[in-house]
Amino acid sequence: MMTYQDTVAPTGVGGPILRCDGITKAFGGVNAVNGATFEVPRNKITALIGPNGAGKTTVVNLLSGAMKIDSGKVQLGTTDITNLERYKIARLGLMRTFQLSRELGGLTVLENLLVAPKVQAGESLFNIFFRPRLLKREERQNLERALDILQTYGLYDLRDNRARELSGGQKKLLEISRGVMAAPSLFLLDEPMAGVNPALIERIGGYILDMKAQGVTVLMIEHNLNVVERICDNVIVLAEGRTLATGTMKELRENKEVVTAYLGEIINAGPGH
Amino acid sequence: MAQFWFYVFTLVFFLFDYFILAMGLNIQYGETGILNFAYIGFVAIGAYVTGAVSLPNSVGTAQQYIFGFNMPFPFSLLAGGVASMLLAVVVAAITLRRLRTDYLAMVLISLSLVLYDVINNYVRLFNGADGLYNVPQPMAGVLHLTSNAFVVFFACVTGVISLIMWAGMSRITRSPLGRTFRAIRDDPDVASALGKGVFRYQLTSMLIGSFYAGIGGGLLIQFGGSFNPTAWLPGETFVVFAVIIVGGVGNNVGLLMGALLVETLLIHLPAFLPDIPGHPGLIEYIDAMVIGVMLMVMLWFRPQGIIPEKIRRFALPVGELLNRDGHSVEAPVEVASTVTSATSIGETHEGNQG
Repeated sequence: MMTYQDTVAPTGVGGPILRCDGITKAFGGVNAVNGATFEVPRNKITALIGPNGAGKTTVVNLLSGAMKIDSGKVQLGTTDITNLERYKIARLGLMRTFQLSRELGGLTVLENLLVAPKVQAGESLFNIFFRPRLLKREERQNLERALDILQTYGLYDLRDNRARELSGGQKKLLEISRGVMAAPSLFLLDEPMAGVNPALIERIGGYILDMKAQGVTVLMIEHNLNVVERICDNVIVLAEGRTLATGTMKELRENKEVVTAYLGEIINAGPGH
Repeated sequence: MAQFWFYVFTLVFFLFDYFILAMGLNIQYGETGILNFAYIGFVAIGAYVTGAVSLPNSVGTAQQYIFGFNMPFPFSLLAGGVASMLLAVVVAAITLRRLRTDYLAMVLISLSLVLYDVINNYVRLFNGADGLYNVPQPMAGVLHLTSNAFVVFFACVTGVISLIMWAGMSRITRSPLGRTFRAIRDDPDVASALGKGVFRYQLTSMLIGSFYAGIGGGLLIQFGGSFNPTAWLPGETFVVFAVIIVGGVGNNVGLLMGALLVETLLIHLPAFLPDIPGHPGLIEYIDAMVIGVMLMVMLWFRPQGIIPEKIRRFALPVGELLNRDGHSVEAPVEVASTVTSATSIGETHEGNQG
């Protein structure tokens, strides 16, 4: 039986899975990320929080290779991934979702998952024409795994629908399940709970805990502090492009700097934020 | 009567040849999203190289051209396909790494114009504006074919080649490679974030499409015996685009339908009609207008084409329907109960394998 962890890319053992050392990124005269330094502990769920404009999404873009880092260093396990090409970073096991769901609209829900495994024998012209059995076997394994994941995420009945036909919440689920199908060792989730109903927030929270149970490390940007408190082991606070503090949510609530920069606003805004 | 069959099989030839050309453009544009406005340049290179390798050495002839190997069919045709692929490597290296969508299209159309001018003016390459002519008709000597019989023969050969190429293309588009092409078409950033080296796949798609373009071009010159710059004005690219847009982007059967409607019925059938008295060449202009209007109507009212891209459904593993259907997970999963849902993945795997 192939387990989920069998497919997780090796990124070194022990120690943090990701080290981010003084990374910077400027857009024109604006320093969006200004020396952010943090570590993401292995096999934990870590939240990246901070006020709007703190540079959270830019950090995710820099870590995943979607943008070039101006200075600083990023290490995934034992590998230096600073400014490595995006697809090479993904092949090392770092997957991401986007703030606004980006489904592959012309593909069916099932195809969105089937395309996700990083390296497939069926993507080689030689194998297509000369090794059909290998293709068939690989495709069957991927199909079974994709159907398992779709069932877990409640998308099984929608498998033959084009992804562009899904609702906003379903697209969120599809994007997360597609990342899971790619068997990441580190999964970056950019606001997975944004714009979804409370029941779905519960479900997504459950799926994230499932990932952790199966050996995936998660780094998620999240504004919903209830969720952060309930499922995250560790929190990184970003403000003005810098790491303001790290620790558990409980520790951060006692940190004056953090309360002033971020938590204070939310506490004052009332519950549910 | 012989004349009638000559016309019919000429139309059959163009149907199958444009089917091949449409498949080549479709894998690039319809499957991978590369807006290749230089496509006709790849067709031309295929035609010229096929012609130049089929012809004898140019010394002592009225034409000037490179190669002149007296290469027999089908090797001459394959040489055309390979030459077109080599051009694709150069074009991809210039364009695909840095450019996307409309900018890519603009650079490609510019490259097509540059290629056109070079071939038109550098006479020693492929005989300049006169183009290549007297290209030997494949197998005509061996089989002692009259020119009418050659048309029937070569239309049938082209039909067989197009069917083989259709089978090859279907295999590619149905494979995981085809799926990755479509993922890149839908969102190259997402494909890249999933670990797909977008440039590598786009290059693969360009190579496959260019091979089809080269073969289609090679067949054109071997059928007609000549090829010159008037046959591949840059605007001709849009005829192939019209074929795939009218027929159905992303659907091989649709492409055959597009080739039948646009290339065979609208372009080549009217060429056999007598001129309108007092207006020589008017039919050709009306033709171009009809194609333009047809393209606009299709894009406005049925952008997916006559036979749209099919939804790809997968045959489920044995027992799959019994195991799962009617058991879709719709109930909210409580955060506290996640260990149960995590273990269910492994259980279902075992169930399937049994």
